[in-house]
Amino acid sequence: MQNNMLAMILAGGRGSRLHDLTNKVAKPAVSYGGKYRIVDFPLSNCANSGIDVVGVLTQYESVLLNSYVAASGRWGLDSKDSGVYVLPPREKADANLDVYRGTADAITQNIDFIDTFDPEYLLILSGDHIYKMDYSEMLSFHKEKNADATIAVIGVPMKEASRFGIMNTDAEGKIVEFEEKPAKPKSNLASMGIYIFTWKVLRKILLADMKLPDSHHDFGKDIIPAFLNEGRTLMAYEFKGYWKDVGTIDSLWEANMDLLDRKNPLNLNDSRWRIYTEDVPALPQYFGPEAVVSNAYITQGCKVEGTVKNSVLFTNAEVAPKAQVIDSVLMPGAVVEEGAVVTRALVADGVRIGKGAVVGSADSENILLVAKRVKGVE
Amino acid sequence: MAKAFGIVSSSGTHFQVKGMQEFRPISAFSFLGRYRIIDFPISNMSNSGIDRLHVYINGSKPRSLTEHLGSGRIYNINSKRGKLQMLFADMNTMNTIYNTDVAGYAANMEIIERTHEDYVVITPDYMVFTENFEDLLNKHIESEADITVLYHKTQNAKFKYLGCQVLNLNKQKGVLSIEPNLGNTKDKNIFMDTYVMKKDLFIDLVKSARKLSSVYTLSQIINARIADLDVRAIKHNGFFAAITDLKSYFDANLDLLDMKQAEDLVNPAWPIYTRTTDSCPTQYFEGCEVRNSYISNGCIVEGKVENSIVGRGCIIKKGAVVKNCIMLAYSEVGEGVYAENQVIDKWSKIIHTKEVVSEADNPGYIRRDDTL
Repeated sequence: MQNNMLAMILAGGRGSRLHDLTNKVAKPAVSYGGKYRIVDFPLSNCANSGIDVVGVLTQYESVLLNSYVAASGRWGLDSKDSGVYVLPPREKADANLDVYRGTADAITQNIDFIDTFDPEYLLILSGDHIYKMDYSEMLSFHKEKNADATIAVIGVPMKEASRFGIMNTDAEGKIVEFEEKPAKPKSNLASMGIYIFTWKVLRKILLADMKLPDSHHDFGKDIIPAFLNEGRTLMAYEFKGYWKDVGTIDSLWEANMDLLDRKNPLNLNDSRWRIYTEDVPALPQYFGPEAVVSNAYITQGCKVEGTVKNSVLFTNAEVAPKAQVIDSVLMPGAVVEEGAVVTRALVADGVRIGKGAVVGSADSENILLVAKRVKGVE
Repeated sequence: MAKAFGIVSSSGTHFQVKGMQEFRPISAFSFLGRYRIIDFPISNMSNSGIDRLHVYINGSKPRSLTEHLGSGRIYNINSKRGKLQMLFADMNTMNTIYNTDVAGYAANMEIIERTHEDYVVITPDYMVFTENFEDLLNKHIESEADITVLYHKTQNAKFKYLGCQVLNLNKQKGVLSIEPNLGNTKDKNIFMDTYVMKKDLFIDLVKSARKLSSVYTLSQIINARIADLDVRAIKHNGFFAAITDLKSYFDANLDLLDMKQAEDLVNPAWPIYTRTTDSCPTQYFEGCEVRNSYISNGCIVEGKVENSIVGRGCIIKKGAVVKNCIMLAYSEVGEGVYAENQVIDKWSKIIHTKEVVSEADNPGYIRRDDTL
């Protein structure tokens, strides 16, 4: 194991604010950015940071997610001594089968797994965020500061700070207080849900937390406060770059639209920090003789014969002749049939918009999620 | 279908494609943006259930080819029961006449003899088509012929497929002779260099060819022994291209802008596998125009692209016009540059020269890594 650090990705959540998109798959398996799934980001970041053992904690609708992440070769995590371990709740000799009751409980239930690697450090990640980050730099920071825990934070606009878990720090970056969604935030440093713990310290605190009847067994609510109560060294590691929680239809749409910006700091075209994903055998993207395209992010297998403006098209999406797709996201295999018009919408995987149908509108407050076939207009 | 093992034969030095072949063998040429020519024969084999494969490497500069093939895992070849082997022939650099397919088979005879399968399917590395070899093998076994070969009927043999061979057939589709295409008649049955036969017969043919002449090819020995052999031909339907020169390479790519032909060649029921480069999707900016073209991932498009095939990671700058071009991966057409009927090789850049135009029947070639 490189770096003496093991990564655990929390990927058990449903992401219920994504509505129908997560009816059949867990949020980390939701598609993003034309060809990726959300979980590709933490997995690729691990691979690129030289972390070669990754546990993925799954729970909600995990069949697709389990088989997806288990194909560790996609991220280059398939050499000897490396691997992606799928960790749904399991029955053990000395404990009954129990669901993961919280983010911390998911780790506690896998202490035996973690111990087999005997890591010095544990990296906890969330499977819900879009960002590129070199975790090895964060680890160097953690070691340099002799921290027991290091939490990655990002500066958010002060007026939005009350939507996040906020870290209040002293002049050296030491965390003195943690407030979950504070009404009157004292700082704008939001937790990114990325933690590095010195494993033997965390292990002790997790075991103690298990015994507390009122605990939620949650990192934000219980474990971080316990570190503070014990007077442990908690450091804030400030991240500067693109980071987005894609928890709602609007924010998922927005994160996709961000890719249209030439100056977008996420820059998925950087060959030094590739995001890896499933490979599909499909033709390159095709544009018909009448195609019109402007400001778009389009991937392999797409067929554009109509108009695409300010939009992101995912693998095998199709826009038929005379159809228009404006300010929208077409998920994998979505089809917009002849003459149909799609505006400010997110069309879910494989959904067809029938001939001449009109969905979404330019002045809608929210992005329209289209998760079922829309009949054509004759 | 474990009854046959597969051979992807090498066109070696038989054809010379201007410019392109200085850097890689024909089989490693980029095709339709994201493929290489070799992806077609190997995917055909894999999709037909043939997962023991011998790929002959018999040209100069094989680096890009061997790198691309790797373990063969990308072709969905069974990781335990299947195997892709690259077999090398000793190249004669004094005189290329010696570099025949048979010379390669003879040099690797022990490996051929060690295979467990009763039959062999041989298909070339410079032709683009799809064919179900399982069906072909079954028809071959049913017919009780000695050899079954594949051909493509064309009315264009005067101008295309020069340097290929043609089949002279009787009415029952029996092969009377295999001859060079001299370009003297328009209707011809182009031989697709694809054979099905028993392994024992194949070994016998290779050995007898070596006895008769040091420069005999497999088709020549079959032709020489045609009176004693029952050789039958089966017609191939669908897209077919032989990459024998720059023009045929150029045309084969552009012909596939006809989506019907492309979807006949590559479709979910018959996937063509290739190596992923993990490039991100392509970004199109305001003011770009893209019509009747294939664009691969990882490109940045600000200019105009028409009737063209664009490989991975290409850059088309503002005001640029790319018309009837094949852009290979990571090439760039700079601001205000007009390019027409060009094959723009990998990593090259057209920046300073503002107009590069050739005739459609004699496309231009921009050398790999060059800056114009």
